[in-house]
Amino acid sequence: MRGLSRCVLLPVCWAGIALSAAANAAGAPTSYTTDAALSRLEFAGTQAGAQFKAVFHEFTAAVDFAPEALAASSFDVLIDLSSVDSQDNDRDSTIRGPDLYDVAHWPTAHYVTRSFTKTATGFSATGALTLRGVTKDVPIDFQFTSSATGAKLDGTASLKRLDFGVGQGDWRSTEGVKDEVKINFSLVLTPKH
Amino acid sequence: MPNLKLQARYGAVAQGFHWIIASLIVVQFTLGLTAAGLPLGMHKLNVLARHKSFGMTVLMLAILRLLWRFRNAPPPLPSAMTPIEKGLARTTHAAFYVLLFALPISGWLMSSAKKYSVSWFGLFTWPDLIGKSAPAFDALHATHQILGVAMFSVAVLHIFAALKHHFWNKDDVLLRMLPFTKSEKRS
Repeated sequence: MRGLSRCVLLPVCWAGIALSAAANAAGAPTSYTTDAALSRLEFAGTQAGAQFKAVFHEFTAAVDFAPEALAASSFDVLIDLSSVDSQDNDRDSTIRGPDLYDVAHWPTAHYVTRSFTKTATGFSATGALTLRGVTKDVPIDFQFTSSATGAKLDGTASLKRLDFGVGQGDWRSTEGVKDEVKINFSLVLTPKH
Repeated sequence: MPNLKLQARYGAVAQGFHWIIASLIVVQFTLGLTAAGLPLGMHKLNVLARHKSFGMTVLMLAILRLLWRFRNAPPPLPSAMTPIEKGLARTTHAAFYVLLFALPISGWLMSSAKKYSVSWFGLFTWPDLIGKSAPAFDALHATHQILGVAMFSVAVLHIFAALKHHFWNKDDVLLRMLPFTKSEKRS
């Protein structure tokens, strides 16, 4: 309150308000950070015909987004692959191992968007995923919901694990582990200050 | 109505259940013991997947077999058998039924506790019975092995008894479960 009244008295501050209003009119996205404790990044694979799910406990997502400013929006997600948790230590260590993620050589996965489009149910993004040293486009579909404290991003994607070399040796077989992996995410976003 | 006319032989359906389940038990021991000896990897997971699919098949067949047995009384045991022998035979058969349920169910619980859901030959997935729990998995794994040893012991007793009936007592106890044979009054 005091800040605003002080601002009213300062012409420099008026300029600032005018600039930000102009930026909003032109469609500048809001910058958000993810609340890791409330957010969830999950994938579902199929092993021997049965689905299993795993989450990543460690990841950061820098989200610049506004529905009216798609051209200037962007997601930049960095995932710590060692933080994979499929609720079984044997499976986790296998996934981290040399034939699958090979976290010793490639500890992180990186996703960066290039463009966004509006869809019937929400939005879709084209972007490139870098995983295990391979960069390939992975489209995502998501919904963006504004809230009083920030926003929420809920979305899905689907990729083929062998496109990224996730599956060497025996693990190349898609009879044991299906090639297709589904990704689900629910990110709780808070605006950057 | 239960079959009032007492049959001298097991019917074709009862014989079918007996021999199909018996063969699957042999397959299950082979797959289970093979998997136990393999290092963690794709091959072990594939062997276990088959073990789980056949195990659920045994469970489904055991349910059908029990229902069939309730409606179709098995042929009576030879009157020459002593009450103790009859009691032993009935106990052995009852133990088989208990194990036909307990082994697959303990395996299903094991898979659930380790979060490796049970697929049936990749066609559909059975629901997990319990939540993830490492201590529960260890206890169930031990139980599954003990039940396996029990199944093996009961099977040895059963086979030994069948052969004893055939070669020692010279009755038709073995023949009446064998397809393509005729039970006849033997000595």
